[in-house]
Amino acid sequence: MICTRCQELLSDYIDGALELGEQVSIERHLADCEPCRAMRDDLLQIVHFSHQLPLQAPASSLWPRIQSDITELRPRLWDRPFRFWARIRSLNFNLSVPQMIAGAATLVIVVSIGVIVSRRETPAVNSDNATRLSQVTPLSNTDLQQLEKQISTLSNSVEQRKESWDPELRIAFERNLFYVDQTLVECRHQLNDNPADDVSQELMLNAYREKVRLLEGFDKFKQ
Amino acid sequence: MWAPLILIICLFATGIASSAAAGATCSADLPSRFERTYSPHRTVHLTISNVNGKIHISSWDKKTITAKASAASSVVIEDEVVGDDITISTKRNLRLGRADFEVWVPPDTSVIVKNYMGDIEVRGITGHVSVTSIGSDVRLVNVKSPSVDVRVTSGDIYFDGELNEGGSYSLQTMKGDLDVTLPAATSFNLNARALSENINLGSFFSNLTGSSRGPKGVSGTYLRGGPRLSLTAYAGRILLHKK
Repeated sequence: MICTRCQELLSDYIDGALELGEQVSIERHLADCEPCRAMRDDLLQIVHFSHQLPLQAPASSLWPRIQSDITELRPRLWDRPFRFWARIRSLNFNLSVPQMIAGAATLVIVVSIGVIVSRRETPAVNSDNATRLSQVTPLSNTDLQQLEKQISTLSNSVEQRKESWDPELRIAFERNLFYVDQTLVECRHQLNDNPADDVSQELMLNAYREKVRLLEGFDKFKQ
Repeated sequence: MWAPLILIICLFATGIASSAAAGATCSADLPSRFERTYSPHRTVHLTISNVNGKIHISSWDKKTITAKASAASSVVIEDEVVGDDITISTKRNLRLGRADFEVWVPPDTSVIVKNYMGDIEVRGITGHVSVTSIGSDVRLVNVKSPSVDVRVTSGDIYFDGELNEGGSYSLQTMKGDLDVTLPAATSFNLNARALSENINLGSFFSNLTGSSRGPKGVSGTYLRGGPRLSLTAYAGRILLHKK
């Protein structure tokens, strides 16, 4: 596979939308091509950040504004102050007394439930956070450095050996290494966004250990 | 006059040579068979260490252990018995041959499975279960073990069994789903982690007490607590069902 073809397919590859054959071809190419690997990492970062962007829904008042703007294409200045009242009056409010009472009762019930739920949830969340914060085991830099050093040593060893492996074995290694690296990128982003998040710390540490396990496993394939 | 005779002899010789070559090729591709039966006196620890291929382990009501494997001829399978430990392993080879294992054990056998590629299934075991693999779907069915530890880099993990009081159950996949089915009356302490923020505890969720609930993690006690159930999925879902 050539670089241009690989780069065309990278987006679908990251989305997991490729056939197995194409996926394998890309992985083979990525294993040997540094620029394409760099592009893959960039795309992964873009995908990550785009997932974190807030959803932008138009305000509910947008459509009435557009509608009124259309109406104003035939402007009559003296008409404008009365337009709101005209619109209100055009609505049909033929409610009977029982209907009004039922509506008011519903409103009271909804507000009461909201108050009760918020009162019940607030202290629980606080106490949970307090418990969790007390249990936080911060991701120590020393631990991380040790793991990264171990990973670096193992990676060098595996890289030297993998050329002699069966292609199927090499592809399996590359694929799983990609999954772990993708996970580590994601963990790093989540920790950057929220450094005190103990769950992210735990997941990141675990992902590092998984990478060590993967490399150790494949480091055993020797000539 | 001799020309047709020479031609016939040449054709005959060519035929013999080609069939011999074909035969040689066929014998090189023929799968090799491995079959052993062990008769332990006590509960044993069985380790199956494979590189590429399926591993199916089932319990039976006999006291013996039988292991059968169908493997490519390039694969070398070795076994070793030391005290209560039985180890069956395929030698790591730069040629990636396939070996499929079918094993029957007494239910209380402790089982350790190590693999790189190929699906793994463990059925009806009441001893300890440990599974580590790189790319495997793992199915644990009707398992009533005091401890279960499953780790795969990529692949789904399916658990359908019971939890023992005071037991420890840890399932982890980096790319795949965790699907756990437990009896409704099971008590446990849960620690579920999913980087994908996709945790579905079904009807277990409503009775989880003392819990911390975030998008990536849920911890808490179900009913009386007891067994420690640790579920970790990175790019995948965690699904918990009642039987």
